[in-house]
Amino acid sequence: MITFEEAMKKPLPSPDADTAPLWAGLRDGKLLLQHCTKCRHIQFYQQQLCRKCGSEELERKAASGEGTVHSFSVVHRAPGPAFKNDVPYAVLLVELAEGPRMISTYTGGSPEEVTFDMKVRLVLEKVSDEITLPRFGRA
Amino acid sequence: MSKASRSDTIRGKVAVIGIGMSPTGKVPGKSPLALSADASLKAIRDAGLTKLDVDGVLCSHAFASPFHRFSVALSEYMGIAPTFSNTLQVSGATAATMFNVGAAAIVGGLVDTVLVVGGDCLLTGLTPDLALRSMTESRDQQYEMPFGIPPANTFAMTVHRHMKEFGTTPEHLAQVAVTSRQHASRTPGAQQTKPISIDEVLSSPMVTTPYHRFDCSLISDGAAAFVLVSAERAKALEIKRPIYILGAGECYTHEHLFLMPSLTTTGAVESSRRAYAMAGYGADEMDVAGIYDCFTGTLIMMIEDLGFCRKGEGGPFVADGQMTFGGKVPINTHGGLLSFAHPGMPGSLFHFHEVIQQLRGDCGPRQVAEAQLGLVHSLGAGFATNATTVFGTENAL
Repeated sequence: MITFEEAMKKPLPSPDADTAPLWAGLRDGKLLLQHCTKCRHIQFYQQQLCRKCGSEELERKAASGEGTVHSFSVVHRAPGPAFKNDVPYAVLLVELAEGPRMISTYTGGSPEEVTFDMKVRLVLEKVSDEITLPRFGRA
Repeated sequence: MSKASRSDTIRGKVAVIGIGMSPTGKVPGKSPLALSADASLKAIRDAGLTKLDVDGVLCSHAFASPFHRFSVALSEYMGIAPTFSNTLQVSGATAATMFNVGAAAIVGGLVDTVLVVGGDCLLTGLTPDLALRSMTESRDQQYEMPFGIPPANTFAMTVHRHMKEFGTTPEHLAQVAVTSRQHASRTPGAQQTKPISIDEVLSSPMVTTPYHRFDCSLISDGAAAFVLVSAERAKALEIKRPIYILGAGECYTHEHLFLMPSLTTTGAVESSRRAYAMAGYGADEMDVAGIYDCFTGTLIMMIEDLGFCRKGEGGPFVADGQMTFGGKVPINTHGGLLSFAHPGMPGSLFHFHEVIQQLRGDCGPRQVAEAQLGLVHSLGAGFATNATTVFGTENAL
């Protein structure tokens, strides 16, 4: 059962075997991307093998934090009670300078100022001792 | 695909011989199992069979039901003991995959008579617990949910980029809602039949840009069911108007939106290419189509990817009246998820029901004259899953 009190809390990720290093990195101030040492493919979604060539020799390196807004949508109707006080907010599909894309939200300004292909920069927001969320603000 | 290699496929070897639908829209006091059993028994009766003739059951998952093995629970509920059963899950595309898996199993000799059924009651049947769960657990728990992503958001971001790249306008999107509502006004049992204007769509409350409330599909109760047998068995049973599966294709390009290869061109290109190749017919030859319309922009993007117009021209296509009667291809003549009903996973089954009914010539005032070939496209999870099916009458074999 989900109680109403639980639904009022924003969902936080529970780091698992694949994602623990990503969340540990964010806690330490870095957005870690996986670089394949065999084929040089770079991926954001954390997994045990390179999605391109299948190699397990992946090296984690901090992203520059720079990116552009590939697409976005300004949420006016919150997905559940936990986000009701935040609307309107802009959900972003950010294309990182290194290539991979990721989902995030816009911070540090009005959602109305977000435009396509606008340059954004990583802003780390600590939400608990364990979890720091990667958001993006105007570059 | 050559004619010879097509003969190795399911093309023309499986027929839909029975269709059935429960009451739809707001149907209080009926569980997903009750709605599904109702639709199933109607489909079985429509085929001229009894429940004991059914030896295979394929279902989609029902959100408002506690049963993970829904097909097994439904069999128990109906008092049958099939020898082939499964509950499939690829979101909105599940509808098509039930037909594909059922057809392949018939051709492969695993089963004789397959019942395909989906039913759910998202409007009246959700407990408060399930309603909260649906809001908080709909997207990836690690990468998406912490940011507050509504279910509409992935579809919103894809069409938003489409608008930026191709100049698709909010008015184009609104036209899809307006046309769908016109279609629903002629469909018995449709949930929303009151005419709406483009202005009304554009002035309805914003949900997540660019989607207003009337750009979003309905929330409904309901079930639909189908009976599939081999073409030979349909003949032996002396079925009057069997509708044949002529082509089928599926494509799964990603799970997460941020790994979607292109936001504006989807897996529907490949799923439809495969379906057309198997059928030996192309988009231009379709007399009628049922296309998944969870949001207005979804339909515009699919019209392009399914080959009814060139990439980027879906907006002008609908504005020009090409998706309705007298246009290039009447799409969602029942009103679709936007105006007929959308009970979740079974939503796409209503597109199947409509296209099959059109090919049977049973659509009364909304009948597309002499429809012989019909396409159904179902999809889900922000275009992660795509499946295309081509149906035809005996004349199209």
